[in-house]
Amino acid sequence: MYISHKIPKMRMNGKHGFLQRVIQGLTDACYIWRQEMKLNVKDEGVLMFVILVPLAYPLLYSWIYNNELVHEVPVAVVDESHSALSREFARQCDASPDVFIKAYVNDMREARRMMERQEVSGIYRIPHDFSTNVNSMRQATVAVYCDMSLMLNYKAVFQTAQAVSTEMGKKIQISISGNYTHREDEISTQPLDFDEIPLFNPSGGYGSFILPAVLMLIIQQTLLLGIGLSAGTARENNRFTDLIPVSRHYHGIFRIVLGKSMCYLMIYSVVAAYLSVVVPRIFNFPALGQAGDLFAVLFPYVLSCIFFGLTLSCLIRYRENVMLLVVFTSVPLMFLSGVSWPQSSISGVWQAISYVFPSTNGVRAFVRINSMGGTLSDVMPEYRALWIQAAIYFFLACIVFRYQIMRLRSHILQRLAYIRRKRNIRRKLRARVRL
Amino acid sequence: MKINNHIRRIAAIAGRECVILLRNPVYWFCMVIFPVSVMLFFTSLMDDGQPQEMPVGVVDLDNSSTSRSLIRNLDAFQTTRITGRYASVAEAREAIQRNEIYAFLYIPEGMASDLLASRRPKISFYYSMTSLTAGALVFRDLKTISTLGSAAVGKATLSARGFTSSQIQAFLQPIRIDLHQISNPWTNYNIYLSTMLVPGVIMLFIFLITAYSIGTELKFGRSRHWLRLADNDIVVAIIGKLLPQTLIFLAIVSGYMYYVFGMLQFPHHGGFSDMLLLGLMTVLPAQGFGVFVFGLFPSLRMSMSICSLWAVLSFSIVGSAFPVSSMDSELQALSWLFPLRHYFMAYQVTVFNGYPVSDAWLHIVSMLAFTLLPVILLGKIKNAMLNYVYIP
Repeated sequence: MYISHKIPKMRMNGKHGFLQRVIQGLTDACYIWRQEMKLNVKDEGVLMFVILVPLAYPLLYSWIYNNELVHEVPVAVVDESHSALSREFARQCDASPDVFIKAYVNDMREARRMMERQEVSGIYRIPHDFSTNVNSMRQATVAVYCDMSLMLNYKAVFQTAQAVSTEMGKKIQISISGNYTHREDEISTQPLDFDEIPLFNPSGGYGSFILPAVLMLIIQQTLLLGIGLSAGTARENNRFTDLIPVSRHYHGIFRIVLGKSMCYLMIYSVVAAYLSVVVPRIFNFPALGQAGDLFAVLFPYVLSCIFFGLTLSCLIRYRENVMLLVVFTSVPLMFLSGVSWPQSSISGVWQAISYVFPSTNGVRAFVRINSMGGTLSDVMPEYRALWIQAAIYFFLACIVFRYQIMRLRSHILQRLAYIRRKRNIRRKLRARVRL
Repeated sequence: MKINNHIRRIAAIAGRECVILLRNPVYWFCMVIFPVSVMLFFTSLMDDGQPQEMPVGVVDLDNSSTSRSLIRNLDAFQTTRITGRYASVAEAREAIQRNEIYAFLYIPEGMASDLLASRRPKISFYYSMTSLTAGALVFRDLKTISTLGSAAVGKATLSARGFTSSQIQAFLQPIRIDLHQISNPWTNYNIYLSTMLVPGVIMLFIFLITAYSIGTELKFGRSRHWLRLADNDIVVAIIGKLLPQTLIFLAIVSGYMYYVFGMLQFPHHGGFSDMLLLGLMTVLPAQGFGVFVFGLFPSLRMSMSICSLWAVLSFSIVGSAFPVSSMDSELQALSWLFPLRHYFMAYQVTVFNGYPVSDAWLHIVSMLAFTLLPVILLGKIKNAMLNYVYIP
């Protein structure tokens, strides 16, 4: 056993110079790096989460949200007015991109049945006095019934009706006003003109909105899963069920943390580049970020995810448990990042909790650089928070690994004492037999 | 006699399973603590129903009483709060990029005097759709305020000409939209999102725990003992093993329903029987799916990986945020393979809207199919339990 000659060697180290120790440490770190890499390449489970999922998931999500917008939502029309004006209303709704009139039905009961059978998402009911009211200068109404189980369909059904009613209203105003010039018409229908300008994600596409956040979350979640799985395996293969193998290369905290993180940093430099640069460009999602800014944000993000993962990995007793702990957090973290739910509406407690996870800052910074064309100075608070997180989790990882090393050492010493005791007993027994 | 025998065996295995569940803290976390905390998380996060008081900026170059009243009115909206005044459009844009505001209103110089002189001034509002919820809501407020700006002028002109208020109303808005938001008249996002997300997370845990509990039998070398208790009858073995879990998850789902529909008073038109059906239809198909996946890949790691990937994908393909009907047709077909999708459809038809159960029959049949899916792979699972060795 090499344990016996390990302790004298460590004492010897103290005599050598500082430089010697640093060199030794770096060599060990590189050894651990190589070892970790070898283990991961052999481990199907780790490969799946660290390579396959980051490669395939973005493609899948891009496919799901490929169409970006909701078009041609089916609607039923109950036209009780049967007038030229009511038919024009329905025709204009049908002509709009978001709504298509699936059926003209006779009464509300029929329309409701269609709604119940999920055939339509809304009902336009034009009452019998619609045309009469308009022509006698009374306000006419159109009743819009919306299925509220899908927000985007509701928006399409409602906003189309509203836009058509405004447009038709303008025509009616012009015909009443009896103006002479086109300019007068404009002034009487809309004395205060306005422009609506969507600045970022101008099409309002669903994919362009959600995908950047998903990409960043994939980095964190797959890293946590990968590191956790490989830690679980390491423990299961260890004779004392410890995280750290018995080897002379593993007797320093920094070299373990450095070595392991180098391995993941190596893999995730490629993965992060693929996710942040390649995927948005393949699928034509917004990609306004400058390379330098993206790198500046992603580097501390990946680092803090790695150290966070290393810290968590000490909690993993069996390799499969990591999935039970990590997978479900994806959805809440998505909401905490301030993309699905506005950051200004997240209460203080949840804001505080959200700062535990690197993804919160990572997603925010990436969205603003990638989708809004921000620069590093625009995401300074997030950038700083990411470095702070990286530092905190680095030290936490060190503390946790120190504890692991102590545990390993005490396990080894126990084992040693046990062997010695056994040897003593055997010797005594032998002596007694000789006697 | 034979049935009695079966019941006794099932009870014995269920008892053994209860001991396993109690001893391993992982089960406590995944079956009780995590689902409950996720439920509290989502319902408390979206407690307001809609995001309120979202920060919006103004670039007011006019500085007249008209422009100020416009801004004041905008500030009075529930979803919008004016937090910043900027000197130029460029500055306001940078504020959006710094995440300080979601949108801003630009009022050019001379707006009020142009308005009085009928020169038709133009104001603009800029908004960001990188957060779809925030963008859409502040857009709505900004558009309303801009339209109302016109209406105020029109109203003043018309009343000066001596029209009555009903005539003015009819002129300014000849056609009014009378909106009926069925079942959710408040456009409450909590009602809309929590009812999909929380069951989705519970189903995720059912997937994982089912695969985990069967797989760990193999991993810890208890599988032969388990089957011996069932007299080598895999049906008895699986029923006995899953029964305690079914009951616990049913309790969790009922607790969720009581909290959401009973205490928070989310709309529930379907009544008690529909909710009971829905509760069963949350737990059983998910368990069926978990066993099926384990049957397909009888290794703990593989089956759990597949279950997690499937469960995470469910949240997108369920189509409650981005509708399935707007996805590519291949995906529309694929969506039938996700139990959460059927749950969502059955929920919104029967409980949320209160339509007849028969309108969701296809989804209920699909959920039954998921529940019975493991039947075709029972032989394979038995073989795995008797002959396989765990490989990490």
